[in-house]
Amino acid sequence: MTAATLAEASPHRRPSSGSRVLAVFRLHFVNPGTTIVIPWAILAFIFIVNVAIWALIFAAATSPSDRADAQEGTSWSGAATFLFAYMSVVAVQAVNTTFPFAQGYGVTRRDFYLGSSLVFVALSAMYAVGLTVLAEIETATDGWGFGAHMFTAVYYGDGPWFVRLGLFFALFLFFFFLGAAFATVFVRWKAIGMIVSFGAITLVLLAAIALVTLSDGWPAVGAWFGSTGINGVILWSLVPTAVAAVTGYLVLRGATPRN
Amino acid sequence: MTAVVEVSDLSKRFGQFTAIDRASFAIEENTIHGLLGRNGAGKTTLMQLMTGQDFASGGSIRLFGENPVENSRALSGVCFIKESQKYPEDFKAKHVLRSAPWFFPEWDAAYAERLVADFRLPLDRRIKKLSRGQLSAIGVIVGLASRAPLTFFDEPYLGLDAVARQIFYDRLLEDYASHPRTIVLSTHLIDEVSALLERVIVVDEGRIVIDSSAEDLRGSASIVAGPRATVDAFVDGRDVLHREQLGGLSSVTVARLSEAERSAAARAGLELAPVSLQQLIVRTTTSTSDKEWSQAS
Repeated sequence: MTAATLAEASPHRRPSSGSRVLAVFRLHFVNPGTTIVIPWAILAFIFIVNVAIWALIFAAATSPSDRADAQEGTSWSGAATFLFAYMSVVAVQAVNTTFPFAQGYGVTRRDFYLGSSLVFVALSAMYAVGLTVLAEIETATDGWGFGAHMFTAVYYGDGPWFVRLGLFFALFLFFFFLGAAFATVFVRWKAIGMIVSFGAITLVLLAAIALVTLSDGWPAVGAWFGSTGINGVILWSLVPTAVAAVTGYLVLRGATPRN
Repeated sequence: MTAVVEVSDLSKRFGQFTAIDRASFAIEENTIHGLLGRNGAGKTTLMQLMTGQDFASGGSIRLFGENPVENSRALSGVCFIKESQKYPEDFKAKHVLRSAPWFFPEWDAAYAERLVADFRLPLDRRIKKLSRGQLSAIGVIVGLASRAPLTFFDEPYLGLDAVARQIFYDRLLEDYASHPRTIVLSTHLIDEVSALLERVIVVDEGRIVIDSSAEDLRGSASIVAGPRATVDAFVDGRDVLHREQLGGLSSVTVARLSEAERSAAARAGLELAPVSLQQLIVRTTTSTSDKEWSQAS
């Protein structure tokens, strides 16, 4: 058998790598229930329940100071935060089950990771737009008529619509890529990989805390968070997001799907 | 013959354990191969190595003439259906059938529909809720309808009943006749598939112990039966692979017989019978002395 005959073997149609990336992208959306329909449905349900609660409070708290208290309280609302944790789970499942499936279809790790990352970016954009629109309505209607907050809670930062959009987008990216990175560790090293990586992260955090404590750095840390503000902290999250995205790829590149 | 996969001196170690030990063989174009061996012999590892899912510790693999690892061009001609294939969370069979054409340019949707009817596969039920056999049916349908130039079936019929397995064999042969392509079927149900196979590769403890055309392999041994004394006289000085005795009768498996020897046996009043592929392989993968014979054959 010579190399020449090998090179001519089976001249099957060979799609470009780009079309494989696109196929992976579409694969994640072939069953849109889990990634799109269910999250919005849950959000709608939570919103309706919240409106009902605000109405009850509004009816019960008649004095202006009580109302102000209640309205102030809703700015710490965690009603919409489930979406972020949910998207981490979406990313975990995307890697954990869709990766072995796609490998059976002859998809490379690189094409899988690129296609999946595009999905994470697209979903982040979609949810960021949705939440920004809801936040703008919330502001324009003075908290749905009750002075309440659900989409303008303090953790999402503050600013004109395009700032909100960017902040939501960055937050979603963070949760997607963090979930994906941990899932790649699991796919490659299974439970032992999770234990070791959680252990390592705990040690690093502990070391950081010790370093700050021993150098009396807590006032400086507090001052940094104070001056950076929530918008700034969210922007800074892009750094760990990027680290997670790169780590995820490097880990997956050596992974073998196993049963 | 053109090789679509050429494996030479391939090794794979997991720590101290050698899963694949200097294996060399070729997968020929437009041929149905049986990759046979006992559980844990290394069949799945070999297929994972050939498809770039696993990484070799030594040696080389050429898939369509190229290194398969992270090679989109070469891998786009491959479909690999595993014994316990994983499916994305919350998928139904219809999602699998809808997305498969994006990965397999030769996908035949009408054929896939006929197979769905043949296997009575419910399309609109969550895959998690399907029976073991229905789960296997999805893999079989994708493997056949993909018409990928190189299709691997790794024990594809776990939980499929006898009828469904026969449907699989029949459809595979029909479709292979009208759309020739390369198929690698890994299984331990050797007798069931032996009629399909054109080439046989047997792996045992990570080593390739047989790599032969199925026809040659079937002719590589015969069973000689008759009165014990006559049989003993005939097989004296031959490679005896197996011997069974019942009263004054004897039945002995011997290595390849020439035409002249076959007629001599007939003249002596002895009966000659072919050895089944399964028997041959069982003999070659159970004892070390038998292994030496198989490598010689």
